[in-house]
Amino acid sequence: MAADTAVAASPEETLESLLREAEALKQKLEEERQKLNDVSLSCVAERLEQITFPNLKLRRVMKGHQSKVLCSDWSPDKRHIVSSSQDGKVIVWDAFTGTKELTIPMPSTWVMACAYAPSGNMVAAGGLDNKVTVFPLGGSGGAGEEEPAARKRTFATHTSYMSCCLFPNTDRQILTGSGDGTCALWDVESGQLLQSFQAHGADVMALDLAPSDTGDTFVSGGCDRAVLVWDMRTGQAVQAFDTHDSDVNSVKYHPSGDSIASGSDDSCCRLFDLRADREVARYTKESIIFGVNSVEWSVSGRLIFAGYSDYTACAWDALRGARVCVLCGHEHRVTRVQLAPDGTALSTASWDCTLRIWA
Amino acid sequence: MDMMVSTLQQQRAVTEQLRREASIKRIPVSVAVTDIIKFINEHEQEDCLLVGFSSQKVNPFREKSSCTVL
Repeated sequence: MAADTAVAASPEETLESLLREAEALKQKLEEERQKLNDVSLSCVAERLEQITFPNLKLRRVMKGHQSKVLCSDWSPDKRHIVSSSQDGKVIVWDAFTGTKELTIPMPSTWVMACAYAPSGNMVAAGGLDNKVTVFPLGGSGGAGEEEPAARKRTFATHTSYMSCCLFPNTDRQILTGSGDGTCALWDVESGQLLQSFQAHGADVMALDLAPSDTGDTFVSGGCDRAVLVWDMRTGQAVQAFDTHDSDVNSVKYHPSGDSIASGSDDSCCRLFDLRADREVARYTKESIIFGVNSVEWSVSGRLIFAGYSDYTACAWDALRGARVCVLCGHEHRVTRVQLAPDGTALSTASWDCTLRIWA
Repeated sequence: MDMMVSTLQQQRAVTEQLRREASIKRIPVSVAVTDIIKFINEHEQEDCLLVGFSSQKVNPFREKSSCTVL
C-alpha cells in the first residue's frame, strides 16, 4: 500500500525513464572522472626516493586457539590484542609477553569478527550467530575467567552472519556488517537499531571508520565487488567505487582520511581517492594469484600491508607501487593484518591457529 | 504488480544513488596525488615501520636480551 502511494506521488517516473537516467548518469560519471584523470600516481612518485626498508622481524608467536583465527583487534593500550576464532573462543592476549590473559567462550563457532572498544574496557564479537555480543572486561582484562561471559550483552538482528564490527569512537555504539548485505549501527546500552545502511548487492565483508577529524563517515566493502562510503547520520551511501573484479574483503582509510585502500579476492589491492572520486593506484604482481584478505596502513600512509591466502603478508610502497617486503612464517592463509595503535608493530592472524607480531 | 512496484522502487534507489554520486565535487588526480605525497612526507619520521626505530630500546617488541648484567 505504501509502495502504491510512493509510485503515485511521482507519476512521471517510469521504470524506463529511471533506467535511461541511470545509464546517462553512469556515462556522465565516467566522463567526469576521466576528465580529471590528468596524471598517474606512479608517474608522480617516480621522482621520489625508493624505500630502504628496515626488515620487519617476527617478534612473537601467540598460540592458544584450537582452530583458524578469523579476526583480531589491538587494544587502545597498545599492549593487548583480542582475537576470535573458528573454535568459538575469543581470547585476550598480552602482546608484550605473548601470553593468553583471558578466554571467553562464544555461543557459536566461526567467530568472524571482534573489536576493542575505545575505552579498552569492552570487547565485541560475533559471527555465524548473526549477532554481536559485548563483554565488559572490568579494567585491563585481569578479571576472573568467568566474569566477562557472565556480564555479556547480546544484540543485533542480522538475517545472516556478522562479518565485521567496530566501535565508532564511542563505547556506546557499535557498527556491524553482515552477510545479509546491510551495515547497521546499534545502541550498546539498549540494543536498539539506530541506523541501517542498505546499498550493497551482496554480503558486506569489511568496515572502516574515517579518521575522526573527517566527520561521521565510514567505508564498507562487499561481495558485490563494491567499496561504498557512507554518511553515518543520513544512512546514505555517498560514494561508490566498483573497479574490483571480485569480492572486496578489506577496506582501510589512509591516515590522511582522503583515500581508501582495499583488498580483494581478485588478488589486487587498490587505492581510491575520495576527492578525485576514482581509483588512483593498483598493487599487484603477476606472481600473486591468491586473494587479499586484509589491508592496513603504516602510520605515515607510505606502506600498505596486505595479508594473502598464499600464507604470506607483505608491504607495498603505496606511492611507487612496488612490493618492498614479504612476511613469511604463517602456515595457512593470513586473515588479518593490523598496525598497533602507536605504529610500532604489525599483528597478523592466520588459519594456522596463531597470531604473530612483527616489528 | 507487486513485483513491478518493487522493481520500480529498486531502480529508483539505484538512480537516486547515481544522482548523488554525479553531484559530487571532484578535484584533478594531480592535486589529490600531491596531497597524498605531502601528508606522507610530513609523517614519515613518525613511521617506525618505515624508517626504523631510533634505537632498538624504544621497540617494545624487541628480543629480550638473554644476558643480564648483575
